[in-house]
Amino acid sequence: MNSRVLAIFGLVAGLIGSITVVNAEAPLIAERVSAGDLPPEAQRLPLSPLKIDLPALGQTIGQQGGEIEILMASSKDTRMLTVYGYSRLVGFNPELELQNDIALAVDIEEGRRFTFHLRPGHRWSNGKPFTSEDFRYFWEDIANNEMLSPFGLPEDLLVNGSPPRVDIIDRHTIRYEWPAPNPLFLPSLAGARPLYIYAPAHYLKQFHGKYVDPEKLEAMVDEAGVRNWAGLHTRYGHQYKFDNPNLPTLQPWRCITSAPSERFIFERNPYFHRVDSHGQQLPYLDRIIVNIASSGLIPAKTGAGESGLQARYLRLDNYPFLKEGEKRNNFVVRLWKMGIGSQIAIYPNLNANDSEWQTLLRDVRFRRALSLGIDRTEINDVIYFGIVNESANTVLPQSPLFEHGYANAWSTYDPDKANALLDEIGLTARNKENLRLLPSGRPLKIVVHSAGESTEQTDVMELIHDTWLNLGLKIFTKPSQREVFRERLYSGEALMSIWTGLDNGLPTSNSPPTDLAPTNQTQPQWPVWGQFFETGGQTGQAPDLPEVKALVALLRQWRRAPDHAERTEAWREMLKIHAEQVFSIGTVNSVPQPIVIDARLRNVPDEGIYAWAPGAYFGMYRPDTFWLEQ
Amino acid sequence: MSQSTPRHFVSEEPFDPYSVEKLSKNQESLYLASQWRLMWWKLKKHRLALISGFILLLFYLVAALAEWFAPYDLHTRTRFIHAPPQAIHLFHEGKFIGPFVYGYNFKLDMNTLKREFSPDENKIQPIRFFCSGDSYRFWGLLESRFHFVCPSAETLKYDPGIDSLNPTPTYSFISKSQAGELFLLGTDRLGRDLLSRIIYGSRISLTIGLVGIAVSFFLGMVIGGLAGYFGGWVDALVQRLIEVLRSFPEIPLWMALSAVLPVTWSPLLIFLGITIILALLDWTGLARAVRSKLMALREEDYCTAAQLMGAKPGRIIGRHLLPGFMSHLIASASLSIPGMILGETALSFLGLGLRPPITSWGVLLNEAQNINVVALYPWLMLPVVPVIVIILAFNFFGDGLRDAADPYKN
Repeated sequence: MNSRVLAIFGLVAGLIGSITVVNAEAPLIAERVSAGDLPPEAQRLPLSPLKIDLPALGQTIGQQGGEIEILMASSKDTRMLTVYGYSRLVGFNPELELQNDIALAVDIEEGRRFTFHLRPGHRWSNGKPFTSEDFRYFWEDIANNEMLSPFGLPEDLLVNGSPPRVDIIDRHTIRYEWPAPNPLFLPSLAGARPLYIYAPAHYLKQFHGKYVDPEKLEAMVDEAGVRNWAGLHTRYGHQYKFDNPNLPTLQPWRCITSAPSERFIFERNPYFHRVDSHGQQLPYLDRIIVNIASSGLIPAKTGAGESGLQARYLRLDNYPFLKEGEKRNNFVVRLWKMGIGSQIAIYPNLNANDSEWQTLLRDVRFRRALSLGIDRTEINDVIYFGIVNESANTVLPQSPLFEHGYANAWSTYDPDKANALLDEIGLTARNKENLRLLPSGRPLKIVVHSAGESTEQTDVMELIHDTWLNLGLKIFTKPSQREVFRERLYSGEALMSIWTGLDNGLPTSNSPPTDLAPTNQTQPQWPVWGQFFETGGQTGQAPDLPEVKALVALLRQWRRAPDHAERTEAWREMLKIHAEQVFSIGTVNSVPQPIVIDARLRNVPDEGIYAWAPGAYFGMYRPDTFWLEQ
Repeated sequence: MSQSTPRHFVSEEPFDPYSVEKLSKNQESLYLASQWRLMWWKLKKHRLALISGFILLLFYLVAALAEWFAPYDLHTRTRFIHAPPQAIHLFHEGKFIGPFVYGYNFKLDMNTLKREFSPDENKIQPIRFFCSGDSYRFWGLLESRFHFVCPSAETLKYDPGIDSLNPTPTYSFISKSQAGELFLLGTDRLGRDLLSRIIYGSRISLTIGLVGIAVSFFLGMVIGGLAGYFGGWVDALVQRLIEVLRSFPEIPLWMALSAVLPVTWSPLLIFLGITIILALLDWTGLARAVRSKLMALREEDYCTAAQLMGAKPGRIIGRHLLPGFMSHLIASASLSIPGMILGETALSFLGLGLRPPITSWGVLLNEAQNINVVALYPWLMLPVVPVIVIILAFNFFGDGLRDAADPYKN
């Protein structure tokens, strides 16, 4: 009995094996191809697929097949597969250069005219052609449709407020043209959460009021329980979120499970446009399975070997624990560098409501004193095993824009100098707890708000609390939820807050310096000024601090800059202002991020940068080239 | 009929009421004993309750004198992060030295990023008793450095003295300036001594129960007393209020109430606030017990007598009715203290109650809830031991008290 089962098994295995050899199809779809459900590989690939020369990148040529499981904390995290997949019109490579990806070529003229050439024969994951029609549909029927885009065009498509001219030249060529240079355009297209300028027209037209007769649409709207067809279109057309299994995609894997679920299965996209140097279609991995677990349990589950590729929700202090499970559960742990400017940064709120505090927080001497009063070496030793980089909140040493002056400015522990600065401001009176007093007689007690997302923040704040006590000021850390935290910040109630440092710690001169100037309400040091620029001056207030005005001007200068040198100039000037003005108080950066990798998984680099921008976490390292050694 | 005068006389002899039935010395003291004395006798026979009572006394003593018992101050950070517990030794290589610990060998394993500590047999650090250590303000008032136990002030190397010319063993200093360590229960992630933190934590965790019970006792007796004595609409109102309070889901209510406490409040105020929150929810059970008891007792003759003599309700309730079941009340209170302690621990464990830098057992346990602790630093879960011990002790003690509260039962 047993032997017969074995024999049949062997026969089947041999059959599949032989098919694989003959057709060189991935195991998962080989059967579908032979059954005629899918055309053979040659007909699924674009005429000129993107060939990835793995040996030239120091990586190995793998074999198709296999699956890995990864862990995420909520079903919303399916969007992470869009990030990891990192299939973009153009994308960053690990050297942080932009390369063509979905686009066959991009011609740039004067930094303001962008012509995209698509790959003839490129198809969506359902086999329908991907052409300039998808760009036209986005431009005319989504971006310029009042119901779908009630707030107008995305910010990155505007240059000084003016929209681009979009020409659909032929089936495979599209041109975007602005009156002035738009340096933000390509980096946005390559973002971890990219700017989409195309959409699967053939699929989405069925939800669009312009293409479907209203009665039919009405029935669908009622069934879905949304307000109107725009709601329907938005619900089913979210390319970033991966929440609609029917929505065609260009990513290496497509979701085949619809929410709600605890287990999302991502299957290879049979029409993916990349091949390895042997002509094997990528991705190598047939399936990625995303299991949902509570974020607190993810380190434990990862340590038990339940994830084949994990970095999200792991922290440096999990490393010893993970390292213990390495042998037993057959995975390896690597340390990558994090790409943020400061692991934890303290932001004095320059827009605080309390006028007395506002005056103090706007006094550069006060901010410098606070920064000098932090013992970063102690933080490094106690929390980060002494292996991280003590620095102000600025770019990382690996960035071409880095200068030691930025990292060292006001960031060495010097309580005497800090006390001298505070005395100089005039905060000389003290109460019986030895706290300095404001002119109105209130003691210097500051509530520092945090979003309450990590105990790491609380620990660091405890160390800072002790050293700041020597300056005669006392802090209380108040953790809350992210929404409450933002609310307190926007309202000006929060005097100080904790957040991560610069999102992009590894910028080149081409990366937008938007973090450095008020551009967004979520910036904790100047939410009201940020709101002013975010809403185009409709709400919020214009900055009235000369240094911040200078930052705004420099950001404009960067946007207008025709070449590399001038952009670098603007960047450096902005970094210098930040270093001198200490608008945010950095602690340490280059904190290693533990990466857990299935021991059989190949082509995952030993060292890397783990960053949202630029890089899209694993995306920059092309997870479609990761393969399982059998 | 002859009229004869009855013979009246007053006996000159002292009256002995027990002339018929002689009471033994023991019986005499039994019948003359006050209620409290009877309870105490009864309790003495309950071994488990007695031991529990002793343990409770010990815990409260330690809590009251936390500054003396703790070898370190609450917030003292050392460079020994996640150091495992040290064992106390008496002998080194067969020679008696007195209580000492071995110092640590510390190495950061760069491969696993694990801080590895091992006892270094060359570093002998005798424990000092009645000594001067970290300075503190006793009860926030008196500045002092006195501790019962302190870490060694110096690290010694022991020379057994095999030399025949010099047969007495000698110590030689490795380092006079480098003070020793004493981490009997290990240290936490910021290098703070866990034993000291548990001792300081007991101050909060143990008193929150007492203060809370005091408040809820007061509320329960007053409100329950009024409801039981007056009955009618007062009773109806109180009963509905109790039902409403009891129908609240507890944890969300705690969350809401503790979110209201302002963050700039001093630790003491927060502590008081939490206590009152716990107490405000806890009086209902007691109020019901008092009410039903009073409803029965107010129908007694002595109560009517007191009313007829014009006593005010406050006096009748407080003077005549409540003492009738005071022993029962005390027993039930001692049984609900552990509920309070657990309440605080649970709240803090969930991150809703006390927050660092205030330290209670719940806060310590909250800090211990992650996978690293379970896998690598299990000693950080030790605060659970005193919680269990104290809860058990209170329960046994309360049990004993309840049995003892009814001395004529057998």
